[in-house]
Amino acid sequence: MMPGSTSRAESRSHADRATKWAVSLPPSLFLIAFFLLPSLLMVAASFRHPGEFGGLAPLFLDGRLQLTLETYRFFAGDFIYAEIFLRSFVVAGLTTLLCLLLAYPLALLIARSPKRRRDLLVLLVILPFASNFLIRVYAWIMLLGPAGLLYTPFAVIVGMVYVHLPFMILPLYTNLEKHDPALLEAAQDLGAGAWTRFWRITLPLSLPGIWSGTALVFIPVLGMFAVPELLGGTRDILIGNLIKEQFLDNRDWPLGATLSILLTVAVLALAALAARAGRLRGKTS
Amino acid sequence: MRRLLALLLLTLAGLAEAEPTLYLYNWNNYISDETLARFEAHCHCRVKQDYYSDNEEMLAKLEAGAAGYDLIVPTGNAVESLLRRHALRPLDKTKLPHLANLKPEFTDLWFDRGNRFAVPYATSVTLLGYNATRLAELGLPTDSWALIFEPAYLAKIKGRVTVLNSQRELMAAAMRYLGHSVQDTDPAKWDAAKRLILRAKPYWATFSNSTYIKDLAIGNIWVAHGYSNDMFRAQQDAAAARRPFAIGFTTPKEGAVLAVDSFVIHQSGRNPELAHAFIDFMLDGRNAADVSNLIGAGNPNAAATPFLDAAVAGNPAIFPGAQEMKRLEMLRDFDATLRRTLSRMWTEIKVR
Repeated sequence: MMPGSTSRAESRSHADRATKWAVSLPPSLFLIAFFLLPSLLMVAASFRHPGEFGGLAPLFLDGRLQLTLETYRFFAGDFIYAEIFLRSFVVAGLTTLLCLLLAYPLALLIARSPKRRRDLLVLLVILPFASNFLIRVYAWIMLLGPAGLLYTPFAVIVGMVYVHLPFMILPLYTNLEKHDPALLEAAQDLGAGAWTRFWRITLPLSLPGIWSGTALVFIPVLGMFAVPELLGGTRDILIGNLIKEQFLDNRDWPLGATLSILLTVAVLALAALAARAGRLRGKTS
Repeated sequence: MRRLLALLLLTLAGLAEAEPTLYLYNWNNYISDETLARFEAHCHCRVKQDYYSDNEEMLAKLEAGAAGYDLIVPTGNAVESLLRRHALRPLDKTKLPHLANLKPEFTDLWFDRGNRFAVPYATSVTLLGYNATRLAELGLPTDSWALIFEPAYLAKIKGRVTVLNSQRELMAAAMRYLGHSVQDTDPAKWDAAKRLILRAKPYWATFSNSTYIKDLAIGNIWVAHGYSNDMFRAQQDAAAARRPFAIGFTTPKEGAVLAVDSFVIHQSGRNPELAHAFIDFMLDGRNAADVSNLIGAGNPNAAATPFLDAAVAGNPAIFPGAQEMKRLEMLRDFDATLRRTLSRMWTEIKVR
């Protein structure tokens, strides 16, 4: 092999690597700055003592490092915090399911309508974002109050579904819109009924859209505190409210940090499980 | 081009702001626009307000680094916290010629002996507001915490009651009903208060810190645990809208929490001169009277008395008499251990 060619191949692979870096650097930096660093700060805070005025107690006192497992022990000490986690996951799961059931037919309808009308329909889906989120939740207070449904778990689910529905519709629509109509025509020619065509072609092809919609709804619902606070009754607090209370009302940052960390870990574990399930499916089919 | 324009607009806005600005971090619904407008005309300056609805929220935001506020209006225990944090500037009394207007009982309070840092501005009582018409029909008492804690009464008003979403305030009400001080440090007594709350909770509609004003005024809610000045507002709103019912508010006979809210000058403020001018302006009797006449808060200012509306001045829920004062307690801070114990109880209250 000539030395020149090796160096050219090498320089090309260098250039490839450089491009790869250039492309992946900004998102990586973004994740490091806005996810990894804050998460590490939270991990650190969860091992500290609470400060007297909120915040954290000094890290060094009397020349000794002040770290403790006390907050984790406090969390594990009884079932009550785990119970709120469980309840939050149930609410998030239910919200996601309802969003999916409502969003799928709508996304399909938009994707199959004539091209010039699609943009208008998508615009209508995004239109509620033009007004402030809190004002829209207040509107639900007006609607649910006279019906006697305000301050109930039902009101919380309605509010959650209402707020997050567009985040399910949009990824589903972008996925469904790309489906090749020829596939459905071919299936029809081969004698597949409407149900079979949906079940064997549209649905499997739309799974990526379902997954991204699910992630976009499930995870924010887990952290949402405004909806349960405004629409919920005396039993409807979720993990988001609990975390907010530790930081803002209770001046117990380490406990708030511990709850945030455990929530992040739970979400990441779920995402990993989902990804693994997706990969296994990919292998068998 | 568009960006240039935006830049130009920003610069202009900056120029417009060249007149001095006072940054006030205040409770919502705690100073009337009329009073502010008068001060702005008086000082040729502007006042910008940010709001909080809970002392803890205000302390947490300052702790997290919120800065630039000239004046804050904390309650006694929060003044104490800020002082221990060395976050306040001492007052320059030569710039406060009207300081002598304060009633003598407000010049030497436990959180700030001799008004070295804080000038009391308004007082409120945490009490029960109610739909007087509805409760009279139901034959329920209005002068006792039993109304929100006893299932025998609550059964008649199920789902029509809100309580404050504040651990300290709600648990203090329960402690007073059980005959304890709100400063008691015995966890067993607090546990009894927690159990009292849990027994009553199924009858309550929700925890609310501000929406109860509107809910009470339009008739959604018949009993609310909250601040006297908020009840005053609900009463005025219901009367203005000619509702077929009247709103009343009474300090429960078992005693309640008294809040004394004071002006303090924060270290991070850039305009202590203007802050002093504002405090002195608000100490003038006519201006001080506004917080009672328009907001419905009690008044620590003696010079305000001649300007008070008779209905406000004669309401013992707004101006507690000497006898009433004995049943009122101010909240003070607890140590971190008790705070965490109470927080654990509060979480249980919220979840069960």
